[in-house]
This record gives sequence, C-alpha cells and structure tokens, in this order.
Amino acid sequence: MRILLIDDTARKLGRLRDSLSEAGFEVLDETGMSIDLPARVQECKPDVVLIDSDSPGRDVMEQVCMITRDLPRPIVMFTDEHDSGIMRQAIQSGVSAYIVEGIQSARMRAILDVAMARFEADQKLRAELHEREQQLNERKRIERAKGLLMKMKNCSEEEAHTLMRRQAMSRQQKLSQVAEQIIAMSDMLGE
Amino acid sequence: MQDDRSPRSDALAWVAGSDGPEKSLLNIGYLPLTDSASLIVAATQGFAQPYGLTLELHRQASWSALRDRLLNGELDAAQGLYGMVYGIHLGLGAQRTPMAVLMGLNQNGQSLNLSAAMQRAGVTDGKSLAQRAHQSGARLRFAQTFPTGTHAMWLNYWLAAQGVHPVRDVESVVVPPSLMVQHLEAGRIDGFCAGEPWGASAIEQDQGFTLTTSQSIWPDHPEKVLSTTAAFVDEYPNTARALIMAVLDASRFIDQSDENKRGTAQLISGEDYLDTPATTLLPRMLGNYDDGNGRIWQDSHPLRFHGGGQVNMPYLSDGMWFMTQFRRWGLLRDDPDYLAIASAVQRLDIYREAADALGIAVPAANLRSSTLTDGVVWDGTNPAAYAAGFALDSHNPSDLEQAP
Repeated sequence: MRILLIDDTARKLGRLRDSLSEAGFEVLDETGMSIDLPARVQECKPDVVLIDSDSPGRDVMEQVCMITRDLPRPIVMFTDEHDSGIMRQAIQSGVSAYIVEGIQSARMRAILDVAMARFEADQKLRAELHEREQQLNERKRIERAKGLLMKMKNCSEEEAHTLMRRQAMSRQQKLSQVAEQIIAMSDMLGE
Repeated sequence: MQDDRSPRSDALAWVAGSDGPEKSLLNIGYLPLTDSASLIVAATQGFAQPYGLTLELHRQASWSALRDRLLNGELDAAQGLYGMVYGIHLGLGAQRTPMAVLMGLNQNGQSLNLSAAMQRAGVTDGKSLAQRAHQSGARLRFAQTFPTGTHAMWLNYWLAAQGVHPVRDVESVVVPPSLMVQHLEAGRIDGFCAGEPWGASAIEQDQGFTLTTSQSIWPDHPEKVLSTTAAFVDEYPNTARALIMAVLDASRFIDQSDENKRGTAQLISGEDYLDTPATTLLPRMLGNYDDGNGRIWQDSHPLRFHGGGQVNMPYLSDGMWFMTQFRRWGLLRDDPDYLAIASAVQRLDIYREAADALGIAVPAANLRSSTLTDGVVWDGTNPAAYAAGFALDSHNPSDLEQAP
C-alpha cells in the first residue's frame, strides 16, 4: 500500500512518516507546491493521500478527485458511510484522507489510527467555545457600556452606539471588547 | 433603553418568546476575502446579540476544510461558494448532502488577472488572449479557487465568450486564493480568477494586471452565500432566521455609507481576519478601480453587500445558473431537475420572514433576468435549453481528464 504524505503546512510530519513506515506502508513525501499535486498523484499513483486538514492544498486535491472521476481507479475523499465517525474524528484531529476506490475501510482505519495519533489534536476550536453564560453577558455588557457612555458624553443612545462601533472597527476589535474597556475605565473613575 | 432605528424592539420581543433561537452560539466559517465583510461585521460589531445570537468566527485555510467542518457539524453555518453548495447537494466530489442557501452575501467584486509577463507580451484584452491561447506551444495555465466554485465558472464563461475553450485550449488549475500572487510571480500560472483583495494585491506588487472584472461578465452576479446543511435548518429554524436577520443588518450597515465601508475595511484588514492592509482592500470596495494597465475607473457595479436587499435575495435563478454551468462543462452528465433542486436549496421561506421582519423589500418574483457578457440572456425559465445552447461546451467526459 502506497501512501502519499503531503507536507505543506507548519505541522511536523516527520514522525508520522516514520510511524507509517514502521507499520509497513510505503510512504512518499510531497513537500513541493500544491499546484503540482495533480501531476504528482498521476505520477506516483498512491493508494492513499494524507494531507493536513488545514492545508491550503486541500482544494487542489478536490480537483484531483474531480479529474479522476472517470478513471478506473478514482480518488475519493474517505467518506465511507459506515465510518463517518472515524472520518469526523480524523478531520478534528487535523488529518484528511483521500483514497483510491476499492481500498478496504478496515485497512484505511489502520492508517488513520496511526495518523491521528501523530497529528496534534486541534484543540483550538474547542477552546474557543465560550460558555452560554458568557454570551448572555456580552449583550448586557454592551448595554451597560452604552448607558455609561451616554452619561459621560451626555449623548443619545444612538450616538453612544455609533461611537462604540466606530472605536471597535478602527481598532479591529469586537464591540463587546470596547464595552469591556468602557466599563473598566468607568469603574476606575469611580462612576 | 430601546434602539428605535430599526424594528429591533419587535425582534427582541420574539427573542424572548417561543420564536427565539433554539441555539444561541453559532460557529461560523469563512475564508479571508473581502467578500467575508458582512459576516465579520455581524459577528464582531454587536449585530447578532439583538437576535439572541453570539457568532464565533472561524477562518478556514481552504474551501474543502470549510465544507468538511460544515458537514460534520463543527461549523453551524458558513460563507459558501454558490457552486460548492450545489456541488455538495448534487454529490459532486463530496458525499451528497442536502444543503441550504439562506441568503446571498455579496454581488460582484471578483476579477480575472494576468501576469506581468503576459502584459509585456501585449496580451491585454480578450482578442489578444484568444490569439495567444490558439497559438501552438505551451498551453496557457489559469488558476481558479475550487473545481465547482464560482471563480472556475466565471473564468470558463469569460474564456468561452472570447472563443477560447476553457478545457481544451487552456489548462485550468486550482490554487488557494492567498497563494495566487506568489504563483503568478514564480511564473507557474499565467493568470488567475479569484476574489479580492488578490487582484488588487497582484497589481500592488507589480506582478500582474486586471484583465476583466466579474461584474463585466455578469453585472450584479451572485457570488458568496450564507450556507448551511438542510438538516441544520430543519432542526433550528428560528436560529436560521435570526442568523439571516443579523447578517442582513450588518450588510445594510456596510452599504449605508462610504464611511461605514472605510470602517469595515479597517476592521477586516486586521490580522485575525484578512491580514491585508486596509489601503489594499478599500479602493475596490468603493468601486475605485485601477487595472494596473493604465485604466482607472469608477465601476458602476462594484462589490456590494445589500443593495436594498437585491443582493441578499436567494433567487432561484441564481442557484439554477450554477447547475446550468455544471451541465455545460460536463460536471453533470444529465440535466437535473433544475427548478426542484433550486427550490429545495434556496430557502426563500425563511429569508422572506427575516427580511419582512426588518422591513427589507423582498422581490415578488423568484427569478431575475440578466444579460451576460456574450449577450445571452439568463432568466431561469428554461435552464436545460440554456445549458445546451452555448457554442462552446464540454459534454465529453474525456475533456475533464485532459484538464491537469
């Protein structure tokens, strides 16, 4: 079984390559520019292509899939319906797999297990999920800051809202961050 | 403390009631493009909170990653390429999954750009390009952003209108938008079709010029959409409507004034979003075009996000057009039931409720009529005949194999 390992992001894939080799797979590295992928795939005829889920080269692989649609061994994204669980897990852990049709999903699973163990789990997305409580507070904070600003500037609600939004956009911040700053400032001034 | 500028007081009433969103935190995916402005503004500038929503933005490195995360539920909704959404719905290059287009996000503002080498060789218009493409020797190589994407369709449509067969006469490759200028500079491609800021960026770096804009191919053409899965809409209908309202509000805000567009450019230029100087983004957002080849003009159909609701209405004819082009270029082997599919994907029902609640005009007709660059009229009434009626097409599957 021949695996093409596409390494075009900052993630370190060196150990993945070794692990796959140790597990008895033939591993080819591709570190060139993604534009050459279609030619590279045609040339080395891999059974499996592994690529970082966050690689910009992903969209190039889509073209490879589209082109091979009418060939005897089309390359498809690994989306075996019975294995949607492992696919989801793989994408979340940062690896996407394209396979030649006909490869047994059990063999594919073995490869993905190795790959997933080696890819850094993508915790970022989960870490960004805020608690529901916090979201509800966001709106209250914006309202509170608006009220403080109206008092400080002796202006209308609409003017206060416009001032806050202008500040947020020019500083590339969220409106809720600006609200936070107004509240902090007001606390400090003993309002 | 009510905000009386918009019908928000009504909106707040239903947020608390049984019509309130079933889900309050939504993960929204987007790519770093000027077209993403309304999503970024909606998520960060307090446009979603009045409707009981918090939007978390997630920048994606590719359309494939965005699609996979949308399909596996990591993203609740996302910026979508029209063609990509229909590609997924039809099972082209992806597991067939019923999809939903909630609203249009923007019209116009994409461009076809050629390299500085082509410019020096005098290839600066359709005629000289057609001559060059038909010469023997190395085939010209053009990049677009996704096999079923809008840019592939604009590129194909324009080339064919010049008499250049986009599959047989030139080579078409996929390159991520952010790498276009780098590939142009390295001489790996002769031109590319993508969204801004990449055209303006190529000119700024003296690597190329704008040959044509997408709005000159189709004035006020549909471009990015707000997309999700049909399953999401079925499970969270109130959330979908609240999301449309938030993004409609943000879209209206951006188009309201040049001052708001300046603020928007400044916001989205930030490193968390597009990470591109505002000075590169702003001119084309304001319709001030410089093609990098001596022509400077104020465009009459620049990038727009709202247009009084014209931009946001998910016309059935807009959705059908992409299927006609899939058919034309051989991505679909047979004519699908154009109208039935578009009626299922374009969520006019929810869009209408959201727009009505905000006092935004909803056109009575679900189809619109446009004249494209080759003089052909598209009005959605006979899609199969339209798809079959072009002089240049590609109904032979072997054309696709030649592509790379």
